[in-house]
Amino acid sequence: MPHDHQHGEHEALIIEDEAGNIEAQIIIDALQQVLIGKGLLTAHEVTAAIAKLESPGLHLGAKIVAKAWTDPTFKSRLLSDGRAAVQELDIPVTEARIIVVENTAQLHNLITCTLCSCYPRSILGQPPSWYISKAYRARSVREPRQVLAEFGLDLMRDIKLVVHDSNADMRYLVLPEPPHDVERYTISELETMISRDHLIGVARGDG
Amino acid sequence: MTRFSAGDHVQVLALGKEGHVRIPHYIRHQTGRVTEYCGTYLNPEDLAVGNTSGRAVDLYRVAFLQRQLWPDDAIPAQDTLIIEIYDHWLRSVKETENAP
Amino acid sequence: MQDGKGPKGYHDVGGDAAGEIPMVELPWLHWEKQVEAIRGLLGDGTRRIVSLDEVRRGFESFGVEKYNTLSFYRRRLEAMTDILIEKGIVSRTELDRAIEAGKVRWSDLDEKL
Repeated sequence: MPHDHQHGEHEALIIEDEAGNIEAQIIIDALQQVLIGKGLLTAHEVTAAIAKLESPGLHLGAKIVAKAWTDPTFKSRLLSDGRAAVQELDIPVTEARIIVVENTAQLHNLITCTLCSCYPRSILGQPPSWYISKAYRARSVREPRQVLAEFGLDLMRDIKLVVHDSNADMRYLVLPEPPHDVERYTISELETMISRDHLIGVARGDG
Repeated sequence: MTRFSAGDHVQVLALGKEGHVRIPHYIRHQTGRVTEYCGTYLNPEDLAVGNTSGRAVDLYRVAFLQRQLWPDDAIPAQDTLIIEIYDHWLRSVKETENAP
Repeated sequence: MQDGKGPKGYHDVGGDAAGEIPMVELPWLHWEKQVEAIRGLLGDGTRRIVSLDEVRRGFESFGVEKYNTLSFYRRRLEAMTDILIEKGIVSRTELDRAIEAGKVRWSDLDEKL
């Protein structure tokens, strides 16, 4: 059975224990079997859909950012129509629209979803566990600076903070600031500097 | 022609709807400014009850001052929250100082 | 509601008081991916059997106790099942029968391992 996993003063994150995981596996297998029996889907479709869920991840986000850092015309296309620009890189985007928000020396962006846990999954894959936690969803819109501090980022008060609640049909990506000596690095070196946390906005890569 | 454009001052309505809605409680009644028109989308309130033939609705991104959302908190004046609001949850208001 | 802002669902937590962020990164389990894959297939353009908004309505109407005891993907699994039953696409009986058969297979497997 599921239980609350409590760590000190941390807000409980609801996870399944071993028995809960087995039970859930049995239920979804049973549901899949019933749906296959009705001809509504095939086992092959499920396997292919799982593979598709597994393929996105940070590597795609890093590729987008490194390209934007080194190609100003791509960057401007990315900021005006994120979905189309991302698709130029042969990344299939299933979300209706991707809005890319740019960090600058005076501006920092943070992405959240207070109602559920909307996330640009076709680019970054599965959101981190803390992103779907009640604590992050509840506090990111009310005390985002304290939330950032918990992630080790003390944002200076004169930097404008913009929080984006992905409550409806848009999905968001943060474009972090490039290192000040961006031209010294190769694309693959730049890609290794980018973390998933930069793309959500809980980290800031000051150049 | 959409009802609002970027820069317009708007207030989020509290429609009192039961069931699945995508406009969170914390943003209802607040006044802000439209930053962007996002296009038309099927209304999640229809989709949630299996109705896929409802009218597509306009969606906007609207910016609010954090200080106005949480007046009891010490928040830097420039901090902002942006959220997506469907057309039927918005009404036009006169210019206000409480908008980013 | 007294504040005139209308109903506030238990999932609608923006601005609520909450503790520290749990800084954990948990693995994405097979059953969780399978839930997400099947939900995606049932909602795709060729099927349109269950939409994400219907699944959301499902777990938003569980009642707060159930919502707060189920993990993220378990909520989605339970809600998707509820919607499929509500729409008459699967019946509780046939699903329960398949679950029972699955439990037997698991316990057989347990003995063999």
